[in-house]
Amino acid sequence: MAEETTAPAPVSRARDSKHDTIALLVGAAGWLVPGLGHALLKMWGRAIICFVTVGVLVWVGAGMRGNLFTSRGNDAFDSLGYIADLGTGSFYLVARSLETNGPDVSHADGDYGTRFLATAGVFNLLAALHAYEAARGCKA
Amino acid sequence: MTALRTMGFFAVMLALQLSHFQALVIFAVVISVAFGFLGRRQPKERLKYILWTLFLFLLIGVGIGWAMYPFSH
Repeated sequence: MAEETTAPAPVSRARDSKHDTIALLVGAAGWLVPGLGHALLKMWGRAIICFVTVGVLVWVGAGMRGNLFTSRGNDAFDSLGYIADLGTGSFYLVARSLETNGPDVSHADGDYGTRFLATAGVFNLLAALHAYEAARGCKA
Repeated sequence: MTALRTMGFFAVMLALQLSHFQALVIFAVVISVAFGFLGRRQPKERLKYILWTLFLFLLIGVGIGWAMYPFSH
């Protein structure tokens, strides 16, 4: 009898599965376009802040000629940098377009720019995770 | 194509030459505001969180800078 009362109903399980899928889509949207995940949840303030933050960090990072890592990295740090940069989603391509003269890390500016770009990516991943959690109904 | 040309224009326009401190301040302001909005809900709490985070970013950044100063000579 106890098993009957604790087992979830099929309707509830199906609803949970649908809910999780929607949450995943929201998280993916938030990663692809910074702020879109929150916008889909009608969290307008957070959506704008995420978009502007990632945009400013990418713009300044590219303006300082930071290193934008590619998939052809030489070591583990390059690969980690690539993963961090990919975190910006579509803004990775924007950063590529902005860096018309390529990176220049021979000066401190370029090194800072590299950190700005990596931070933009990691922050966007954090924001996407936040949107995912909010879509799942967790307190956010 | 036009979009790419526009981006190129912005890239040229944004040939940034920032000092270390300016870069630190821009970074601290942007990240503090973002963390404040993501981490807190109420406007008053957000403002407090943003100001506190900004203060700590600047304090620790400048502190680490001074801590490295003796080794730069």
